[in-house]
Amino acid sequence: MVRIVKSTIIAAPVEAVWEVLRDFNGHDQWHPAVADSQIERGWTSDRLGCVRRFHLADGSELREQLLTLSDIDMAFSYCLLDTPIPLLNYVAHVRLVPVTDGDMTFWHWQCRFDTPAGREEELAKTVGEEIYDGGFRAVRAFMGLSPTSAGAQ
Amino acid sequence: MPRVFTSSVIPAPAAKVWERIRDFNGLPRWHPRIRESRIENGEPSDKVGCIRDFNLQNGDRIREKLLGLSDYDMFCTYAILESPMALTDYVATLRLTPITDGDATFAEWTAEFECEPEHADDLVNGIGTNVFQGGFDALKRHFGR
Repeated sequence: MVRIVKSTIIAAPVEAVWEVLRDFNGHDQWHPAVADSQIERGWTSDRLGCVRRFHLADGSELREQLLTLSDIDMAFSYCLLDTPIPLLNYVAHVRLVPVTDGDMTFWHWQCRFDTPAGREEELAKTVGEEIYDGGFRAVRAFMGLSPTSAGAQ
Repeated sequence: MPRVFTSSVIPAPAAKVWERIRDFNGLPRWHPRIRESRIENGEPSDKVGCIRDFNLQNGDRIREKLLGLSDYDMFCTYAILESPMALTDYVATLRLTPITDGDATFAEWTAEFECEPEHADDLVNGIGTNVFQGGFDALKRHFGR
């Protein structure tokens, strides 16, 4: 099993970041890896169990299901149902925490998955760097913020 | 139940920050409001259940009991046994989480307690500002920001 943990500081109030992230169907608006996305069966994107079907820029199709959504904890989790990429038993958790010192946001994004032996490193890099680190950068750009982590030394 | 939540970004790797704060008897070494501290009965300060007896710079005396300590999750939970503050059932947790993007540390300090309703705001503000943010400011200065 591979585990990825990534975190960053976004220089914006937590409510503003949560407004962007809580829409389970909104990732095609900000993530450069996602070309288009829609929720199946006409459900709203905040209905637990809803499935987002989306395409990457290369045309591959993925389906992910919303497992947890909490406005009080500013957190959600989801799993991959179908993917052409060998990410098996993939479950991811996103949570936001206020940084009271400076009115910023701590964003924690983690997952675990299985993958065929020998591909762990490659897929850990894809998920951790392209999807998660890339997602951090993309949300900063989407919100009109400076591209580097506000927590960078 | 009044709740205090204070969080900050410390410009150093979490392991370094944890090394500085994990000693339950070490407050005088890093927190400017604490003058001296000892662990009762000669127990080690990482023995869960041990009690620290310390004095603030203003002379106030507080006794606190260690309820939980984790080197893996980098948190420390403790309760107040005796203090001059008008509160009861005080339990606090200080927790560190690595910020992978920048190799810094996200620090959270939370507390819950019971008190007379008219004292709640003053206690929440006093603890959040003087104790928790005061501690974070000292860590930020120590690690160079």
